[in-house]
Amino acid sequence: MNRLWKEFSKGLWTDLPPFKLVLGLCPTLAVTNTANNGLGMGAAVIFVLTLSNLMISLLRKIIPAKVRIVCFIAISASLVVAVELLMQAFAYPLYQQLGIFVPLIVVNCIILGRAEAFASKNPPLLSIADGLGMGLGFTLSLTFLGALRELLGTGMIFGVNVAWEGFEPIGIMVQAPGAFVSLGVLLCIMTFVENVRRKRRGLAAVQGPTHDCGACGGCGHKNC
Amino acid sequence: MKEMMKMMIVLSLICGIAGVTLAALKQVTAPIIEEQVLTYVQAPAIESVLADYDNNPIKDRKKFDVDGSTVTVFPALKEGRLTGVAFETAGKGYGGDIGVMVGFDIQAMNLTGIGITTLKETPGLGARVAEHGYATQFKGHPLESVDLKKNGGDIEAVAGATISSTGTVIAVRRAISIFNALKDKLAGGWS
Repeated sequence: MNRLWKEFSKGLWTDLPPFKLVLGLCPTLAVTNTANNGLGMGAAVIFVLTLSNLMISLLRKIIPAKVRIVCFIAISASLVVAVELLMQAFAYPLYQQLGIFVPLIVVNCIILGRAEAFASKNPPLLSIADGLGMGLGFTLSLTFLGALRELLGTGMIFGVNVAWEGFEPIGIMVQAPGAFVSLGVLLCIMTFVENVRRKRRGLAAVQGPTHDCGACGGCGHKNC
Repeated sequence: MKEMMKMMIVLSLICGIAGVTLAALKQVTAPIIEEQVLTYVQAPAIESVLADYDNNPIKDRKKFDVDGSTVTVFPALKEGRLTGVAFETAGKGYGGDIGVMVGFDIQAMNLTGIGITTLKETPGLGARVAEHGYATQFKGHPLESVDLKKNGGDIEAVAGATISSTGTVIAVRRAISIFNALKDKLAGGWS
């Protein structure tokens, strides 16, 4: 039980997909112009991720190592097509909003990443917990980002007006540049919070990307 | 050799099972999806082109065969009498096919208007064919000589969007030729 909770909860903070692992950024940037879209996309990912983790975990002893990637993709692609059909049948307005990004869940790194890194090495129950946790973390992140952008861009959250009178919406926040700006600010805040936490426990701060001078000569960086 | 066989069998099995499952799912959802598309894509367009009816055009739709292709016709009935019909045609635009719902008045034998259903034109340019100023030119237009002004007709093209304007005009002309072929079948009333 303890182990289950551990696998489930790591997706909610320590390995939070878009903000900590920085995986699955394509849908994170593209569909989060409203909270509702973020939530819908997240729900689709939870469904695909949990089921693909379960199936891959069940088949992990049958799938030959040399063709495992093809098998993983075949399984997740089938699940995505199933989601697309079900969404068209039962949530058409959401499908109209998400459009091309639904089939693109196939190439979402989180799906293949969890299959390769976790489900193919762990028993089914743990894999389900991992998929649910990661999916839920992804959904919460997307919903939060969507709500933030919707609030700043239109003054609404989930289509309900929450802004005070005289609030001037920043139109660019619901367009592509707003996605990059808000994601960057959120990543910055997340790292700051993590650093404060680590400092309190006496750990070293989060390492930024190291400067690699392997490919360039004389780029002017102080480490070169 | 044995490893190779195993790879082939496992991969084929996975793909086979996936294929069969998806085919079954597609079959189950197809009628529901058709209903959803009608409600969310075509219903708003139908409402905008048909006026003066007291039935549900989507529920009363019927399929007709015209020149080898099937057309779904949505009727406007007033007290059981057929007053108009609407159906969808498409013309080539700049970013793909433009779907146009065209409405006809049976009594006056003219167009009651057009509504755009599928549109992938450039926003702010070609996409303006869906706007009021352009689309209303078709309202009450006779069935003859629907053409852009530069071709001798009386439809003012959207400035800077000749391809998109031509696409809609072609779709409307297609609809008119289908309507002319359907006229006799419709004369006997609906049902």
